[in-house]
Amino acid sequence: MAILNKTSRKAIADPLMRNNPIGIQVLGICSALAVTVRVDQAVIMTAAVVFVLTMSNSIVSLIRSFIPNRTRIIIQLSIIAGLVTFIDMVLQAYMYDMSKQLTVFVALIITNCIVMGRAEAFAMQNSPGKSFLDGLGNGIGYGGILIMVSFFRELLGSGTLYGYQIIPLWLYDKGYENLGLMVLSPGAFIVLGLIVWLQLQFTKQEEK
Amino acid sequence: MRSNNYVLIFTSIVTIILGFLLSMAFSKLELITEQNIAVDMKKNILRALDIRENEGEVWTNETVQSLYDNYIRTSILDRQGQEVKGVDLDIINPEIDTTFFPLFTKIIDNKIEGYAIPVIGRGLWSTLYGYLALEPDAITVKGIQFYKHKETPGLGGEVEKDWFTSNFIGKKVVDNNGRLISIQVVKGKVDESSSESYHQVDGISGATMTSKGVNSFLKEDLSKYEPFFKRIRKKEKESVTWQS
Repeated sequence: MAILNKTSRKAIADPLMRNNPIGIQVLGICSALAVTVRVDQAVIMTAAVVFVLTMSNSIVSLIRSFIPNRTRIIIQLSIIAGLVTFIDMVLQAYMYDMSKQLTVFVALIITNCIVMGRAEAFAMQNSPGKSFLDGLGNGIGYGGILIMVSFFRELLGSGTLYGYQIIPLWLYDKGYENLGLMVLSPGAFIVLGLIVWLQLQFTKQEEK
Repeated sequence: MRSNNYVLIFTSIVTIILGFLLSMAFSKLELITEQNIAVDMKKNILRALDIRENEGEVWTNETVQSLYDNYIRTSILDRQGQEVKGVDLDIINPEIDTTFFPLFTKIIDNKIEGYAIPVIGRGLWSTLYGYLALEPDAITVKGIQFYKHKETPGLGGEVEKDWFTSNFIGKKVVDNNGRLISIQVVKGKVDESSSESYHQVDGISGATMTSKGVNSFLKEDLSKYEPFFKRIRKKEKESVTWQS
């Protein structure tokens, strides 16, 4: 990655592992529990969050020197809300069924702490390029966990992946049953908890 | 520290630009979204009338349209349950209209297979929109579908799930004396041994208010069509006695 200097690399790589928004900072848990029943939902949600995060970070960073300090939170929030409303409209026009399945959780990206947190903590101090990378890193860091959780939930809960049957049907005839718990929210808590634990173990070892 | 004027002007400019961009995007996408919503309504009429996708099959907008055109006949009823000609379906808003009521009849090979009516009413947070379908006897429920609501996902939002809607199938909307009694969503599970179970369905735990709402608007909407359905029931009875 010679094109990126050290700080840019840190901006994109850090949130993927060492400072993951879900795994380490425990932000954005609500949507991580809600839209991880199936992989296709998690993928669309990830795409939406990556779009909103990169765009909001870049825009906030671009106009950061003009934003008056007293109303900065409101300005950030209106930019984020505008982007989220836009992506919600696009989903309704081109992926209507998906937007119905995601229900309110697309609109709730507005209140996702990751988006607002990155705008306030990173984009207000850094150049647009770096802020873009930071947004990308955080978006993928968030989405990676989402897709991982949904992978286990869909496989164990419905026996499918991305809508395709994975567990062979003859296994059901022999008495195999889908784990109903995985489809419900407690399943997400358990899977997410295990992932956070694994990640903590991993990062601890790295620090030593 | 920047002056108050600067803050005011800057904030207004940001708001105006955002509002302008969003309304542009909206006007571009509005038409496609409206089409999607129209197709989704038709899909739910079809589903309520038990025309549904096979497992893993996805209907395109064109498939829905052609199925709808082939099997569904739309008609407009007045308050006495008589069919009215020359009223456009699009101008009727079933949510508030009290003079004209749309009716969707499933017809396959010239044989009536069921009737669907719109059911609309308040839940806890929002208005629920759906379709209730009856068998040709106008007594037994053929199916029910909810396609639009803003109830809490996982609680009231469960109304659109198959486990809830499939409970309605086979239940009766009139009692032994032929009086409209509608469908009742109970708290918890239906007691199958009770004499009332013929018109009761399992409730959603944690969604008492949504269930209450469903109970009241189902009855209200069914009673709007009662003059029409009463006639159907009478006709059915006569044809049965005549045959025997």
